[in-house]
Amino acid sequence: MTRAIRLTLLLIAIVLVQTTILPYLRVFGVVADLGLVATVAVAYREGPETGAIFGFAAGLSMDLFLQTPLGLSALAYALTGYFIGILQGGLLRRAWWIAPVLGALGGIIAGLLSIGIGALVGQEQLFALRSLRLVLLAAVYDALVAPIMFPIVSFAIRGGNPRTTSEVGRPGW
Amino acid sequence: MAVYRRSSRRRSVLILLVLTSITLITVDVRGNGGGVTRTARDSARDAMAPVQSAVDDILSPVADWFDGVTQASDLKDENRVLRRELAKARGEAAASRGARRENRELRHLAELPSVADIDGVDTQVIAGSPGNFESTIAVDKGSSDGIAMGMPVVTGDGLVGRVVQASRRRATVLLLTDSVSGVAVRLETTGAAGIANGRAGSDLLELEAVDPAVKVKPGELVLTGESTRFPSGIPVGTVVSVKKSPGAIDQTILVRPVAAIGRASFVRVLKWPTVGQGG
Repeated sequence: MTRAIRLTLLLIAIVLVQTTILPYLRVFGVVADLGLVATVAVAYREGPETGAIFGFAAGLSMDLFLQTPLGLSALAYALTGYFIGILQGGLLRRAWWIAPVLGALGGIIAGLLSIGIGALVGQEQLFALRSLRLVLLAAVYDALVAPIMFPIVSFAIRGGNPRTTSEVGRPGW
Repeated sequence: MAVYRRSSRRRSVLILLVLTSITLITVDVRGNGGGVTRTARDSARDAMAPVQSAVDDILSPVADWFDGVTQASDLKDENRVLRRELAKARGEAAASRGARRENRELRHLAELPSVADIDGVDTQVIAGSPGNFESTIAVDKGSSDGIAMGMPVVTGDGLVGRVVQASRRRATVLLLTDSVSGVAVRLETTGAAGIANGRAGSDLLELEAVDPAVKVKPGELVLTGESTRFPSGIPVGTVVSVKKSPGAIDQTILVRPVAAIGRASFVRVLKWPTVGQGG
């Protein structure tokens, strides 16, 4: 099975979980964004180009189930994937804390982009301090989910192949 | 040279994705959520419908049990208060039966429908919103059951929101608390008109466009006003706070919805506007 097919299957599974199970796991009014965290994980492993493409696909899939304009999440996730992909080039080592930190960073970037783009297309009511609180809470949730999502994404990319010599001794993702 | 080519390709891919996204957003916003984008959304939601129902059947009892365990003390207190209120309400209901009959007769004479007269579809809530920037619920019935966009949604307590999307087997309800929701309302005692708007990330509504000269008190009931979108007289919420900053003209009025917004398991979609009414 090619990497693209495995990532497509992962995306379908993420959309299923996000739209059916995650709404039950709302804490302090927010839910974790699995599509976004997966985008961050893909970008971290594969770089900006794949990160942006996966982010676009994940965001567009989520847009189908939201009332916000179609393409808004796609744009926010694609830009987030690209940015995280660029950022990962400067990371010299893989430590356990990278997954939660990048998860939170991705949550903040995508949240702020969603508010900004939303405001440009007529949803200016999102420009409020309360929205910022939502973004920060969601980023914490994303940070908690990231250590689970990173290994899953890594497995989907590798397809069960053994880790390379250079990967041995590092975190599973 | 190879590095330059790779970096140029990256930028091209990003520009292509950005342009595609902007095109989609423009098509959706200009088409007001209709056309191709609506077809895509309806198909995706209908495809997901059986899975959502199955997950809801499995998770609802677990979620209820979890709520029961974590909120046992609160539930006991609430139960005590509700029993007291129930006893009081039974007495009041007996006293008001005659008045209600009279009210219904007068409404018929004036050709004004009340909520009880409006045909509706009872639905089960199967999912909340999968996102963080909107307050919606998905219900287990859709256009094949007569549900259409714009129809009001209520519980026994009051208004919950309105239908914003209806595929064949599913409908999405925009809750009053969503930041794009706005309902024309009136205050029960003074009859002063206003608009109850949702606020991003808050359970409360903000009452706007109320005459600054009108005195509003906490605890006052807010009802739907005269509009074509909702039948008039449906309870919306109660005023929880009224503030007026020094020098400000308008008062900041916050309202708590009377219906259990986002926590109701069953809601009723009213077939409104009915033929020949509203617009």
